[in-house]
Amino acid sequence: MSANAAAARRRYWILAVLSPLTLLALWALVTAQGLATPMILPSPLAVLASLGDMVGHGYSGVDLATHVLASLRRVGIAFCGGALLGTVLGLLRGRVAEIDALFLVPSELVRPIPPLGLIPLFILWFGIGEASKILLIFLSVFLIAMVNAQAGARACSLDALRAARSMGASRVQAFRFVVLPSALPQIMTGLRVAMGTALTILVAAELLGGDRGLGFLILDASSFFRTTYVFAGIVLVGLIGLASDRAIALLGRRIVHWEGKR
Amino acid sequence: MIRTALRVVRPPPEPGALPSPASSAAPVAAAMAASLSAAARSVLAFDRVGFAYDGRRVMRDVSFRVAPGEIVALLGPSGCGKTTILNMIAGFLAPTEGVALLDGRAIAGPGPDRGVVFQAAALFDWMSVAENIAFSLRCAGRPKRERRRVAEEMAALVGLAGREDAYPYALSGGMRQRVGLARVLAARPRVMLMDEPFSALDVQTREALQEEVLRIRDRTGCTVVFVTHSIDEAVFLGDRIFLLEDIREGRFETFDVDLPAPRAAPENRLAPGFLRLRETIYRRMRHTG
Repeated sequence: MSANAAAARRRYWILAVLSPLTLLALWALVTAQGLATPMILPSPLAVLASLGDMVGHGYSGVDLATHVLASLRRVGIAFCGGALLGTVLGLLRGRVAEIDALFLVPSELVRPIPPLGLIPLFILWFGIGEASKILLIFLSVFLIAMVNAQAGARACSLDALRAARSMGASRVQAFRFVVLPSALPQIMTGLRVAMGTALTILVAAELLGGDRGLGFLILDASSFFRTTYVFAGIVLVGLIGLASDRAIALLGRRIVHWEGKR
Repeated sequence: MIRTALRVVRPPPEPGALPSPASSAAPVAAAMAASLSAAARSVLAFDRVGFAYDGRRVMRDVSFRVAPGEIVALLGPSGCGKTTILNMIAGFLAPTEGVALLDGRAIAGPGPDRGVVFQAAALFDWMSVAENIAFSLRCAGRPKRERRRVAEEMAALVGLAGREDAYPYALSGGMRQRVGLARVLAARPRVMLMDEPFSALDVQTREALQEEVLRIRDRTGCTVVFVTHSIDEAVFLGDRIFLLEDIREGRFETFDVDLPAPRAAPENRLAPGFLRLRETIYRRMRHTG
């Protein structure tokens, strides 16, 4: 790495770290000046204290780790399933006109429906247990992954496909060695978007009854006006979002190592 | 169908003399005899091939034969149909009239016996140079060790030894085309199809690669169909040049190139035969000759 690139990288990280610290300082300043009542905007320290209290004593009789793991499990299962199925179907739709025709109307009918609007239906169909929560997240991840994989598959260059075929690749080999790698950049971008959406749906999905999970924690705390706990829960969801986004982005750069290098 | 055969007469006449069209009268008969014997041993043959796209005719009544080890240059301005011919040989397009034959059998779809070198290389960015070169072997289910051996062999053949583990994005335009060449050669094709592969390169790189193609043909005996819009490139590389005049009406003109061996010698670019044929073709293209 050249000295210039190293300097640019350092500048990047200084800004990336400074920006949240500034927001935090602003938040602390506003609360310290008494510009907002603690019920509406508690101070960062009060939020931290509530977080510490939950780490030590749990929330509503359940370990904080249990709440976090319950949420992670729901998002994890739904995300992996939705990403896998959505990507496979999207790639097929992108390359096989008949499959695209089959799924075009159903998927475009479902896609504009806000997932939250489906909650009553899902309760009727799948009850208020884990299935409803996971399926709700799964559906939104699935749709996002599918649209992106389809666009990625269509982005595959005709010359690359022809080159593969003229070197003896079967249709399946051309798909595996050319269409899939060509689509990977867009697939990875889609997965980042899908993960963000999955976490937003999570909080709503945990509206569907149950007594654990970060969404439950936030909603429960808010109904008792325990604002510091609401904030602590939000901060945890945010941190999970940040970590998962960085993880997918890093993974993406590893997998799609050729992107943007030409 | 109008089809003339112009021959550059050997030995060349006095420098400065223009080739007279009358001198082609006798060679026409010779060319017909030659084409008959070529029919028996041709690799590629087009027999009254036509092509229509969306009901619009873009080609009709095109017939030619290509002998083993021959380099045929398809010359003409963009949009004249030279890539259409190439795509039919590759099997990307199927003739709507007539037949295109490879070794006497009708071409049905693309295959590793007809490798294509594309204008923009069309390398697989996600594969290393070695993986790109050995792609045809991977598709054929050859073991890893053999793939590596062939990749190294072919990389050496095109002057890329030591770069097998690089990725295409780290290579210059000229090197990318060398990979494109090597991956086609690795499949040991009957015919190598080249679609303006050097047109985006700088002059020095382009000339080096043209010489490389001639050397590879001498070493492997591979037949080459080369699409280009550069008269110089066609004359330097080709054994025969098809000047596509109006492919919609099946009109193209054939020129035999007669340059001293080894063909890859850079001096050939200044040889009287080279300059004369270049002028002849130029005048023909501009309708001034």
